[in-house]
Amino acid sequence: MIYYYLTVFPMEALIASELDPKAFGSYMATGSRKGSAEQLIFIEVEGGFESSFDWDFAGKNCVAHSSGEPKHSLYLSIYRVLENTPHEKMKSMYLVTKDGRTLQLYKNTCKVPGNWKGYAMYQELCPVHPLIVSSLNPQQFSEYIISDSDKVTVPAIVFADVKLIDFDDYENSGNVGSMYDRNLGHMKDCIESVKSEKKKKQTKTIDRSFSSSFTYQIIDTGIYAASLDGIILYTMPTREELKQNHYDWGRSANIF
Amino acid sequence: MIGLIIIAALAALIFAAINFYGVKRRDAGTDQMQEIAASIQEGADAFIKHEYKIIAVVAACIAILLAVVVSWYSAVSFVLGAVMSASAGWIGMKIATISNVRVANEAKETRDIGKTLKVAFQGGSVMGLCVGGFALLGLFIIYMVFGKWLGQLNPENLSFHKNWLGISDIPFTMTVSSYALGCSVIAMFNRVGGGIFTKAADMGADLVGKTEAGIPEDDPRNPATIADNVGDNVGDVAGLGSDLLESYVGSLISAIVLAAYTFFSVRNTGQSISETLVSKLVSYPLVFAALGLFSSMFGVLYLLLKKVSKNPHKELNRATFAGAGITLISTGILTWFYFSAEQVAPISFNLGILSPWVCAVLGIVSGIIIGQMAEHYTSYDFKPTQGIAAASKEGAALTITQGMAVGMTSVIAPVITLGICIIAANATAGLYGVAMAAIGMLSFVTVTVSVDTYGPIADNAGGISEMAKLDPEVREITDELDAVGNTTAAIGKGFAIGSAALAALSLFASYLYAQAGENSAGGIDLILNMVNTMTLVGALAGAALPYLFSGILIEAVANAARKMVQEVRRQFASDPGIITGESKPDYKTCISISSAGALAEMKFPAIISVATPIVSGFIFGPEFVGGLLIGTTLSAIMLALYTANAGGAWDNAKKYIEHGHYGGKGSDAHKAAVIGDTVGDPLKDTVGPSLDILIKIMAVVSLISVSIFSKFNLFSLF
Repeated sequence: MIYYYLTVFPMEALIASELDPKAFGSYMATGSRKGSAEQLIFIEVEGGFESSFDWDFAGKNCVAHSSGEPKHSLYLSIYRVLENTPHEKMKSMYLVTKDGRTLQLYKNTCKVPGNWKGYAMYQELCPVHPLIVSSLNPQQFSEYIISDSDKVTVPAIVFADVKLIDFDDYENSGNVGSMYDRNLGHMKDCIESVKSEKKKKQTKTIDRSFSSSFTYQIIDTGIYAASLDGIILYTMPTREELKQNHYDWGRSANIF
Repeated sequence: MIGLIIIAALAALIFAAINFYGVKRRDAGTDQMQEIAASIQEGADAFIKHEYKIIAVVAACIAILLAVVVSWYSAVSFVLGAVMSASAGWIGMKIATISNVRVANEAKETRDIGKTLKVAFQGGSVMGLCVGGFALLGLFIIYMVFGKWLGQLNPENLSFHKNWLGISDIPFTMTVSSYALGCSVIAMFNRVGGGIFTKAADMGADLVGKTEAGIPEDDPRNPATIADNVGDNVGDVAGLGSDLLESYVGSLISAIVLAAYTFFSVRNTGQSISETLVSKLVSYPLVFAALGLFSSMFGVLYLLLKKVSKNPHKELNRATFAGAGITLISTGILTWFYFSAEQVAPISFNLGILSPWVCAVLGIVSGIIIGQMAEHYTSYDFKPTQGIAAASKEGAALTITQGMAVGMTSVIAPVITLGICIIAANATAGLYGVAMAAIGMLSFVTVTVSVDTYGPIADNAGGISEMAKLDPEVREITDELDAVGNTTAAIGKGFAIGSAALAALSLFASYLYAQAGENSAGGIDLILNMVNTMTLVGALAGAALPYLFSGILIEAVANAARKMVQEVRRQFASDPGIITGESKPDYKTCISISSAGALAEMKFPAIISVATPIVSGFIFGPEFVGGLLIGTTLSAIMLALYTANAGGAWDNAKKYIEHGHYGGKGSDAHKAAVIGDTVGDPLKDTVGPSLDILIKIMAVVSLISVSIFSKFNLFSLF
């Protein structure tokens, strides 16, 4: 059986594989003999849809090795994959830790967060990686970034909303990893600029490429995938759900 | 009264046996849990067997040397001390490797932290009771066989006797000192060997598994994880047990030896001193310790029988304070009746017959203060450790710098406490009072060792829970018990260092008595002439020795850890299935690396501690060794306090960040704190505890050999 995976972080690609999502995640994070250790986010997609992707090539070449070992990965594309993948073909999203443990996130419809503070911080994951603060909620933000009314636009986007801390009490930040390690003053200024009614700024870039500081600890509601098809929310389980059902993943993700 | 000693020792050992089998018959959990526990047990057994084979050869050489140069009774008592210490260490390690899986299973079955604490503490109590029981049993045998039946404690024998080489000593002081030496040699090997093993495994597991591969703590995919858990048992349990048994015996014999020399000195000045008083001065520390042992048994029993709350720290403190409180009351009554018929004026009991008890109380209070100070400097509830966590935001360099500052600052307060204790004890009951202060500090050692041993057992239980993939709730229980164990360990180290300093001072006084020897008719002035160039140079060399010793130990850990890192990397690279969980890592090779590293590297530092006073004595003479002892004692106490507190503070600064401060796990502050913790690991768990033993081993070796090198040394020829 051939699986198709759209990797959205740290790089964008469409990969065919004979490995199921869990095995694929483990393989991609830790490598076979490369000794790599990197986190990876991918979405399982239903192949064969109408596009420029060469499904026949995948069918012919994504076959087991002569030893019987399954084909680990066959790259079909490494450019503009997200924008060419329809939402209805996207299945679950998988968050893979550095040591190869995989958490499955399910598709949900997007709602305005219940605890909306009037602004949010978004880590864009695909196709670009800036850290943004915005006065727009996730739905509005995705519409804003996808619409071609602005010079700064992408046809499709994957982004996460990020946990906010009390900037004046960094000592008790909670378990947020390296997200707030640098430039707290600049972050505060950026937040002030979108909160300020005078400036009327809807978004402000905090950092042009912030992906190295992105960890699963800082995902708040979940990860959003948006395009002209609309917006999907891959909801992040609560801490309690993680503890009960995905404790090992939570430990590998530094959540526990 | 003497009967109390053997009753206490046997009662403690019977109680230990009951607890041993009480833990052993508990359910060991699932097949997977038992398999993991068996691997840990197998590794620990194999290491201890190899280690004891090496120790046996060294001990046999020392025993033969003692038999030829000193006397046969010194050799016999040395062997007895070695056997007692080795037995306590071995049984403690054995029960720890039996308890760990049962603690994990208790947490799994009951989900109750109180019930789980009881099983861990019952396992730990076996070690505590063995330390108290074996130490007193050995001393009772020495007292009865050599002191009473062979007459070494007869007043006419409490004087200098010449052996076939013309070397003179007071026989009973040599007998008890040799017993202490036996305990010290085993303690040194167990602490150094176990310390190298455990830290090499710990660092290897962390540096590659956690830092490079991103694998969580105690994950079964990490090839070094079983070795890490084995290390907890051979280092933190066997090493700790032998160490505290040695401290306990060291403090007891320092008082006994001083009593013998005091009698000799007082009699030579022409003052009258009753023979019963002398006999009581010699036996008082043992009877005192016997009551302390009984009281500790009550403390242990109290925790095992009561309904335990969900606050393990409070429960352990209650058990300790129960033991300490009963010790204080019972020994106060004992002292009153013991000396009530005696004239104590000639022996400087300035507060009357309760003087030695007052000194013991001073020791207990000082121990508690030093322990609290250790907690202040190492617990993340207080500013010093929080300061290290805050400094970690700016990178590893400042973590290290701030930790060093905390460690160095932490030295002065315990030293002032010790100073006040020494002055007050000396003013109350002379140097005998100082020795009693050390005994007081360790009088409830059984309960403190039980509490200390429970820590590594809980740590291992956490490891097994993790590896066996038990429910998060189970792992939270074992993690909480482990966290409490870290704090109790820091307090325990404070007691060990404080008692080592007090015992070393008493032994040093005995050294000066022994150096003066039989020519001291008319009284001995206990004066160390620091203007004498030999003494001064000796002091300088002595002050440098703990640094050399520590450097060798740290290098030994680094060498073994480097090999472990290379092996873990090799396994990950050669078999990708390990990281995916499809293949099982080769745990045995990692255990062998730690084991081989520890066994190869432990000999040199252990030999240095025994050989330095002897070799320098034969070359430079007794004045040099006197300086050497004072220099080593002063320098080692400072270094031991510094390493224990800095290491503990680095460790807990990391934990503070992991509890959700400054970004928590994965933050830059956390990365810096992990480096600080790794630097501090060999300091607090290998170097610090070994320095306590270094002080006493050198003092005892010097005491035994001073009469020889006073007569035969190179410089006396010129």
